[in-house]
Amino acid sequence: MHLSPSLRPIARRFSAKRLSPLVSNGTMILVLALMLLPILLTLATSFKQQDDVLRKPPVLFPCDGPDGTFGLQHCRFVVEGYERVIAPQPAPEALLGVRLTGRMIDTYVPNTLFYALSSSALVFVLAGLAGYAFSRYRFRGRRLLLVAILAITGIPLLTNLLALYQMAVDLRKAGIPGYDERMFVVLVYVGFQLPFAVWVAKGFFDTVPRELEEAALIDGCSPLGTLWRISIPLAMPGLIAAALLCFVSVWNEFIAGFLLLTRREVRTAMFGLYDFLSQNIINYQVIAAACVLIAAPVVVLFLFTRRAFFEAMTEGAVKG
Amino acid sequence: MATHVSSPSRALPRIQRHLRSKGPFTGSLPFWLLLPTLLVVAAIQFYPGIYSIVLSLQDRQAGQAIWVGLRNFERILDSAAFRESVGHTLVFLVGYVLLTMSAGLGLALLFNGRLKLSGVYITLLFIPWVIADIIVGLIFGLLVVPEYGLLSPIFSNPTLFPPDGLSISSDPAPKPWIEGFPFPPAPAMYYLIVASAWRSLPFTTLLMLAALKTVPREITESARIDGASSVQVLWFIILPLILPTMVVALFNLMLGGINGIGLVFTLTRGGPGTATEVLSMLLYTVGFGRLEFGRAAALAVIMAAINLLLIVLTLRVSRTEERTA
Repeated sequence: MHLSPSLRPIARRFSAKRLSPLVSNGTMILVLALMLLPILLTLATSFKQQDDVLRKPPVLFPCDGPDGTFGLQHCRFVVEGYERVIAPQPAPEALLGVRLTGRMIDTYVPNTLFYALSSSALVFVLAGLAGYAFSRYRFRGRRLLLVAILAITGIPLLTNLLALYQMAVDLRKAGIPGYDERMFVVLVYVGFQLPFAVWVAKGFFDTVPRELEEAALIDGCSPLGTLWRISIPLAMPGLIAAALLCFVSVWNEFIAGFLLLTRREVRTAMFGLYDFLSQNIINYQVIAAACVLIAAPVVVLFLFTRRAFFEAMTEGAVKG
Repeated sequence: MATHVSSPSRALPRIQRHLRSKGPFTGSLPFWLLLPTLLVVAAIQFYPGIYSIVLSLQDRQAGQAIWVGLRNFERILDSAAFRESVGHTLVFLVGYVLLTMSAGLGLALLFNGRLKLSGVYITLLFIPWVIADIIVGLIFGLLVVPEYGLLSPIFSNPTLFPPDGLSISSDPAPKPWIEGFPFPPAPAMYYLIVASAWRSLPFTTLLMLAALKTVPREITESARIDGASSVQVLWFIILPLILPTMVVALFNLMLGGINGIGLVFTLTRGGPGTATEVLSMLLYTVGFGRLEFGRAAALAVIMAAINLLLIVLTLRVSRTEERTA
């Protein structure tokens, strides 16, 4: 995917000759604005008050005065929508003096965080081990297993969902001591994220020169020690990228959490969002605010770690 | 290993060979490294796959399982809802794939050579891809709420959409051209296609960009010097060279399109009527809405077979042989 260094100056000169930066940037900004329009409009809605949301015809900016004139001094942007999602209550003992009592913030988002963190941690470890094995060892059935794992990355959750639902019911009925339906859901998430992560991890281990490991082995390091001290640190960017992709997928997952979790107190933020719909039939600003609040963490995470995302995706998708 | 031949020391290769044949790179270690992954995948992917087949051959009522053979398959294949849903899915897939692929290729051509991957533009362009599908459904739904949605004045404008404007949420499909095939679709279907394409466009663009970067500029430039037009360069040089990636993107989009449910779930819920009831939505309705597990499992098995076919075709095209060697 990398443009070879010798071609880069040619590419730059070629494009610069054809289009001035102004036109080029202008087109790009136009495309971006169009692409991000639904998000921008949702942001605008989320900061409106109830009366402005229910206007006919709808207004983009609630900035018209009583006499119909448009002016910035009339703007009525409020955070009411957000307040109704997080429901802050004054609480002297809490940090900053307020406690967020909205079910979304005090139950659903922490749950989602738990699922996303625990499944990406498990994926990180398991994909690291399996990716290393595939990258370094030549064993019987390796090629078949690799192709099988790659094939599995394409299998969607949906068609397995009925069986997984039955399995969840059976497990609940079985009454295994210490069993918690959260464990099964984490296992399901890991099972669905792992194949792709293994593939990504293998790709990154492949780029670690074997000579480095052999040098460590000759110097008397054990195989696991070599994996721990040499290979994992060098393949770390790839493993982190795989874990990040898993985190975002699990954060965004709706249907499995919706169907497999039965107790309200263990359900996910995406369920909370869906639940919001039924409670806020005409409170569009509340729905918009909830959407913004739930999408924001992964968008921010993506913006800060974009390089890892792009590398993992091209590793997993293009070469695969 | 060509690098070892050039090694100045003669002893080192021998040690390496020894390590590889008898040493730590063999033995049972890879088995133990792989075991946890294999166990998880077996429990969460293979076992439910087989369980689905078992469910599809049974009729479960009041906790009792009765073997019914292939009757579930017969009943689902014979049902009008299934045939209609296949039509909706085909319409959706064709629209979704065409729109995403053409827009993705267009954007990739626009971006190609102008900016680096992970630059500001492409990062911002990628934001839709990290937004959950059910949120995409919600925000696109909010935009077209009758009368109050910010885009609803555009759709209800009678000059733009004669004779008296469109209502995404309630207008039924026009009379089909061919009896029994839902084309032309309802406005909601077009909207569903646009919303779905919006979310997968960034990833498709990235795939195409990565492929375009592998097209040597010498070739396109020399073709231009020889007098080929931009369209000719695109059609005769670029497209054939990036064809494998295009096919991989196509299959990926089809897989996602057939199995995606979150967006339909929050945007249209299959409606108005059954105008956007694609197979994934039908599976949900039959299985979890009407709790007809056997029939839903039969539908899941049919869909899984389609998925497997697509996956095998993708593997063929992307020539994984090279990567696994």
